[in-house]
Amino acid sequence: MNRTRTIQEVQRSMRLKKIFRVSVMSAIIYAAAIIYFFPILYMFLSGFKSEFQAVRPSFVFKPTLETYGKVLSDPNMYGYLRNSFFQVFAGTLISLVLGMPAAFVLVFGKFRKRESNEKIYMWFITTILLPPVAVLIPLYTWYQTFNLNRTPLGLLIAYIGFHVPIVVWMLYSFVSDIPVEIMEASEIDGCTRMQQLLFMAVPLARTGIIASGLLVAVFIWNEFFLGFNLTSNVTATLPVYMARFREQQGMFIAQLSASSTIAILPAVVLGWMTQKSLVKGLTMGAVKG
Amino acid sequence: MKKKHDWVFVLPAILVVAVMTQVPFILTIVYSTLRWNLARPDMPIKFAGIDNYLYFMRIENWKEIPEFYSIVWQTVMITGLTLAICTITGFLMSLLLDTTVPGVNFARTLILGPFFVMSTASGVIWKTTILNTTFGWYGVIAKALGFTSVDLLSYYPIPVIIFLFVWQWMPFFVLVILAGLQGISFDLIDSMRIDGVNWFQATFLIKLPMITNHIRVAVMLGLIFIVKEFGLILVTTAGGPGTRSYTLPYAVYMEVFNASNVGRASALATMTVAMTLIAVNMLYRSLKKRSAI
Repeated sequence: MNRTRTIQEVQRSMRLKKIFRVSVMSAIIYAAAIIYFFPILYMFLSGFKSEFQAVRPSFVFKPTLETYGKVLSDPNMYGYLRNSFFQVFAGTLISLVLGMPAAFVLVFGKFRKRESNEKIYMWFITTILLPPVAVLIPLYTWYQTFNLNRTPLGLLIAYIGFHVPIVVWMLYSFVSDIPVEIMEASEIDGCTRMQQLLFMAVPLARTGIIASGLLVAVFIWNEFFLGFNLTSNVTATLPVYMARFREQQGMFIAQLSASSTIAILPAVVLGWMTQKSLVKGLTMGAVKG
Repeated sequence: MKKKHDWVFVLPAILVVAVMTQVPFILTIVYSTLRWNLARPDMPIKFAGIDNYLYFMRIENWKEIPEFYSIVWQTVMITGLTLAICTITGFLMSLLLDTTVPGVNFARTLILGPFFVMSTASGVIWKTTILNTTFGWYGVIAKALGFTSVDLLSYYPIPVIIFLFVWQWMPFFVLVILAGLQGISFDLIDSMRIDGVNWFQATFLIKLPMITNHIRVAVMLGLIFIVKEFGLILVTTAGGPGTRSYTLPYAVYMEVFNASNVGRASALATMTVAMTLIAVNMLYRSLKKRSAI
């Protein structure tokens, strides 16, 4: 019998098909995400194992806080953590303090030559292209002669030099979003540049400032090349501490997992928080330009 | 007017950046012409012309091509293959994630994770908990399946390094490409559906050309960041076995810290920078040309 289907039947079969498709898609997406994230997940879990349990890879274990406690009470780890926090806070703050006024006058400022704004902006961009290897050798020799590798300030100024261009680059697109009219109006009302910067540009571009600050914080937190080569034992940062585990073939897995969890957690959490504005800052100038 | 004051706002930034990046770079170029060995304080520092460059580049005997060329080749291969694989898998992953199934945001967040992990931590994690032949998942699974596990890091150093780079950098490509895909308007997607465009056409003939700019940005930034990767190589293979997984930044590091030869290291660093800038420039132009058509 060739029976024509009612509208309800057609709708129901379509709905079932859609549910089926969505569940297959979800399964694939979840599987991909979990496989991709597996090393980090396993690392996180292994931190709760005792050293004896961690020898064999497995998901079955009795969770204990013993390893985290051991790692956190290690005075070495404490020193590296303190150095990292210092570099991140001071480096990010100073990069923003230097970068924000620069980005602001590059958008709204008037220089003697009109094309100066564009030229200075491009100069900042090209310094981003410079790999750190280009500066390593002179900095290394200076730091050795003047003992700058024994004080955290040495690494700090290197980080500021490398991250100010990134701040300028990201903030430039956020500051450009501020309407020119309100700046002109404030100028007629007698605002100085300083007032414009502090009371108008900074509040209006605050999402951009937060986003670029967090991005720079993540970059400094993870930076290894300069941190490794321009520091001594007392000033080294967490990535250098993590690199020390490279010689231990399969030993202290639990300790390694707990330390790396502590080392990566701040950056991963900050990164997740900033992902939206990160895309905007990274692509806006480049995609439209 | 207040024209003069505007300089004051940008000057500190310019000064710091110039002193910490441009001046050292110029000094690197100067050093590269000097015979200067930190381990030999008895030998005076003196001008050596292009000797340091010749030391790496001169080919005396065609049967033994200097190590420098293989290091350059390894760097090009690692960077190029990483970028290519990141672009392809990143695009496919973005297509997968450009849907509206429940929980897709959580999946996106998980996939983004590795990008924010410091390279030394991801190196030691992969090396000890996964790739290790006795204590890692790889060893255990291989044993359970009846294979004898070979030490991947010493037999296939470059493929493993590329794999780890891709693991770390693909999320960044997904981040940028996904932003491009989500910028495509719903009207367009609706009209594609009405016109009966199939999946293949929709993806590769319509969506892909629309996001070339995003891919270009991802590849450019990826190139800039991946060329300077150093920590991962140091912790996983330490350049070995021998020099088989050296890259140029790693070779510079070894030349300063092991050989203490400032002159030669500077020559290598200068060549690294020159090659990076040439690559970025070429990439930029070729991609720009293509997107103009």
